[in-house]
Parts: sequence; structure tokens; C-alpha cells
Amino acid sequence: MVEYIEVYKSFDRPVLAGVNLRVESGETMAVIGHSGTGKSVLLKTTLGLIRPDRGDVRIGGRSIVHCSARDLECIRHKVGYVFQNAALFDSMNVFDNVSYGLTEEELKTLPRREVLRRVAGALEHVNLEPAAVLTKLPAELSGGMRKRVGLARAIVGQPEILLYDEPVTGLDPVNATVVHRLMARLDKELGVTSIIVTHDIEGALPIVDRVAMLDHGRIRFVGTPDAFRASDDLLARAFLKRDVASASLDIVEVV
Amino acid sequence: MATGTQTDAPPRRKFSYARYSPTLALLRLLGRRGEAVARHTGELALLVWRVARSVLRGQIPLREVVAQMYWVGTQSLPIVLVTGTLAGIVTSQQGGYQFTGSVPLYVLGSVVVSSVVLELGPVMTAVVLIGRVGARITAELGTMKVSEQIDALLSLGRDPVRELVAPRVLAGVLTVPMLVGIANLAGIVAGMLAAQMTLGLGNETFLYGARLFWHSWDLLYSLTKGLVFGFIIPLIAAHMGLQTQGGAEGVGRATTEAVVFMTLAVLVLDALFPPLLLN
Repeated sequence: MVEYIEVYKSFDRPVLAGVNLRVESGETMAVIGHSGTGKSVLLKTTLGLIRPDRGDVRIGGRSIVHCSARDLECIRHKVGYVFQNAALFDSMNVFDNVSYGLTEEELKTLPRREVLRRVAGALEHVNLEPAAVLTKLPAELSGGMRKRVGLARAIVGQPEILLYDEPVTGLDPVNATVVHRLMARLDKELGVTSIIVTHDIEGALPIVDRVAMLDHGRIRFVGTPDAFRASDDLLARAFLKRDVASASLDIVEVV
Repeated sequence: MATGTQTDAPPRRKFSYARYSPTLALLRLLGRRGEAVARHTGELALLVWRVARSVLRGQIPLREVVAQMYWVGTQSLPIVLVTGTLAGIVTSQQGGYQFTGSVPLYVLGSVVVSSVVLELGPVMTAVVLIGRVGARITAELGTMKVSEQIDALLSLGRDPVRELVAPRVLAGVLTVPMLVGIANLAGIVAGMLAAQMTLGLGNETFLYGARLFWHSWDLLYSLTKGLVFGFIIPLIAAHMGLQTQGGAEGVGRATTEAVVFMTLAVLVLDALFPPLLLN
């Protein structure tokens, strides 16, 4: 379970202004909102990559804001993070990149054959042929393949929670559908808790249990995909019509 | 109505002398610079502590240390040799020009050896390494920062200081003194050959002059400079890389600032060495 309790964060302006959200174990939640509304910042506070100014984030009941550095490292091993641009390590090949998802202890103690087996298993999970990609550098892969290698790195350590930051941004519709199906399958097979930050509401709605809509640093709507579709909230309707820019302007004026 | 409109309009900003005073503008600029220097100094001190902790706990990936030693040491050897050689030649020729007809020429041996060992060898090596190694470290870590690779390391429960910074600093500390020693040797040999070819000064006479004023401490002093520069260059470079923000432009800006910062640090430390270690 992931809990956000009154989370505040400002940079040169307030980004998160008292976010309260609870994602239950095994649940898949989409976090949507227009650009600059703090979705990625919220996701990064989950792992302590960005520290909230106020409030708390708890994973399985343990605060990641008030824990020691060592505890934070332990918590991070239980969470897989899929970055917007995959964030693969440029100087390492696919094998090294994916095996980085295992703990240092595992890398030291496990025989190389076992590490290879786990890496290959993670790559097969994301529909990549291990033999074809293991020795390739990230620069030699397509955008979709890079995303999938990033996903393999996130799941190789068998995490309890998966965080996706705009997993289909920059992908063509075919690859975006492939990644969405993959996420749905992984959530089902691995039984993980997932939080998906996305703009692609159409692709995300069929694979999530609930939707949270962030607006002006606060949660504006939380509900099931059906409730979201039926909502008369102006911003929700605008998202469904894919008319976010004009809707957000209208709403700013109304608010 | 008209009055109401005037009342609703935003008040006109009064002319403020303080806003346009050159003195206050200068003070404001100095204040901002001072704040930046203080912030960087504090963050560097914290980084030193974290690097030292990683080294003392033996948590540094040795494979990475070896790879960085190859890059900092072996790969820098040609440019360090060229720089050391040219420094020796220039010192020898300028000394010869000044001494001919006024001072016994064997003194040239001492001047070349002392200049190269005490000053030119370590400082020229440091300046070359700032461009070759320091700028690369800042650009590399800066790119990793803006492309979220540093965040990826953190998300995987790894410490970027332990994985990236400490190996680079350790490689600098281990290899730069060796490079300084090699630059010194190249400078002395080149200075001796230049004196022989341009001034007709025999090698024995050159070495006689060199031995006359030689102190063994000078070599230790030179290598200590190399050690300090080998520590400070990768440390500042890595710090600036990890502070990078804002895409490709940010990487360029961080690299430029790092080069300026490293050069100033080397020159200031170089100025502090004589009063601390030569008196």
C-alpha cells in the first residue's frame, strides 16, 4: 500500500499543495493531469527522489520521509521505477542495465548463470528476445525497446510496487498499445501495486482499477474508470475529449 | 467612474534609486556570488565526507576504479608528456637567455629542475587534466543527471557517490602524482637536451648545477601537489556534474563553470603550498 499524506512541494512555485491519496495493495492506479501539475514530482516523492516540503509518503506503512538512508535503500529495492525516457545507463549493455535491478547482495552471491537466467526471464516478460538484445547498448535500441528494457530492469528484482512515469510518451500508437498490454499483463502476473502517471487516458483506462486526477497540486478526482467516464467534472470531461489545453484554461477561469 | 477606474489600476512603480544604483547592483552581485561560493563549499565538504566514508568502508566498485585509472592515467600520458617536455624546453631556453654573460651557466640545471619539479610539472599537469578529465567527468555526470540516470541509480537503491564519484576521485588520487612525476622527468630531460643543443651546455654540467641546489623534499612537495590536485579536480568536476540542471544547455553551462571553478581551485591551492610546505 502507498499513502500520500498532505504532501506539499514547491520549487519556484507550489507544485504539490496538500496531496492526499491512498493506493491499495495490488491495485493499479492511473494519475492524470495536465502538464506541469506535479504528476512526476508526486511519483518521485514515492521513492524519496524528491523530498516533500511537508507531509509524508508511506510504503507499506513505513515513512520514506522520516527513515534512515539505509532503510530508504531497502525500501527502494521493493519498488520498480519505469522512467519516462527509460533512463538506461548509456555505457552499459542491456545485460548490465537489467542486472542492475538486482540488489548488490544478489549480484555478489548469485552465480553468474543465475543472474543471466533472471535477466533473461525479465526480458522475456517484456516480450524481448534475450539472445538478440543482451549485448546491445541502449543507443542501438529503438524507443519502444528501450522502454521495455527499462521495464525489465524495474521488474527483475521482483518488486512489490511498480511506478510508471509516462510509460508511453514518445511512442507510436502501435508500440504504446504493446506497452499498455504489457503493463496489464505484468500487473496481473506479478500481482504488484502499480501507479501509472500518464497523459494517455484512453490507453490507461482499460488497464487500471482507479483514476486519480491531479489539478493545481491537489487531487481533484479519485474513482473507478467507469466513475471517471460518467463524471461531470469539467477537467475529467476535457481529458476524455482530449481537449486538455482549452479545458484547463476554462477551469482556471471558473476556479 | 473615471475615479473608480484609476483606483482599480495597478499603482505605478515609484523610481527607486536603490534599484538602479551601480553600487547596490555590485553589492547584490557580490552577495549572490558569495552565496554560491558558500553553498558549493558546503556541498563539497559533504561530498568529501561521503567519498571518504565509501572508501573507508571499502564499498567502491574496484572494476570502476581500474577503468577510471586507465582513463585518467594511461590515456592522459601522451598529453602530459608533451606538456612536461615543452615546459622544460621553454624554461631552459628562457633561463639560458637571461643567464648568458651574467651568471655561470651550470646554474641553469638548478633553475630548470627547480622550476619544473616545484611548479611547472604539477601545475601544467593539473591544467591539462582539468580540460581532459575534469570537463569529461562533469559532462558525463551532468548528462546522467539530466537524462534521469542518476535518479535511476537511486531508484535501484544505489548511491551515486559510491558508484560514480568515489571511483573517479580515488583514480585521480592514485594516478595524478604518477603523472606529475612523469611530467617532471620529461621536463628535466627536455630542458637538459635543449640546453645542450641551443647553449652548448654539457649534460654533466647541467646535472652538476641541478645537484648543487637539489633538496629531496622538493620531489615530495611536487608529488604532494599532484595528490591534492588529483583529489580536487575529479571532486569538483563530479560535484558540478551532479548539480547539473536543464538539458543539454545545462550540461554545457555546468561544464564551463566546472572548468573555471577547477582552475581557480588549482591556482589558489598552488599559491597556498609555498607558505605551508616550503617555509
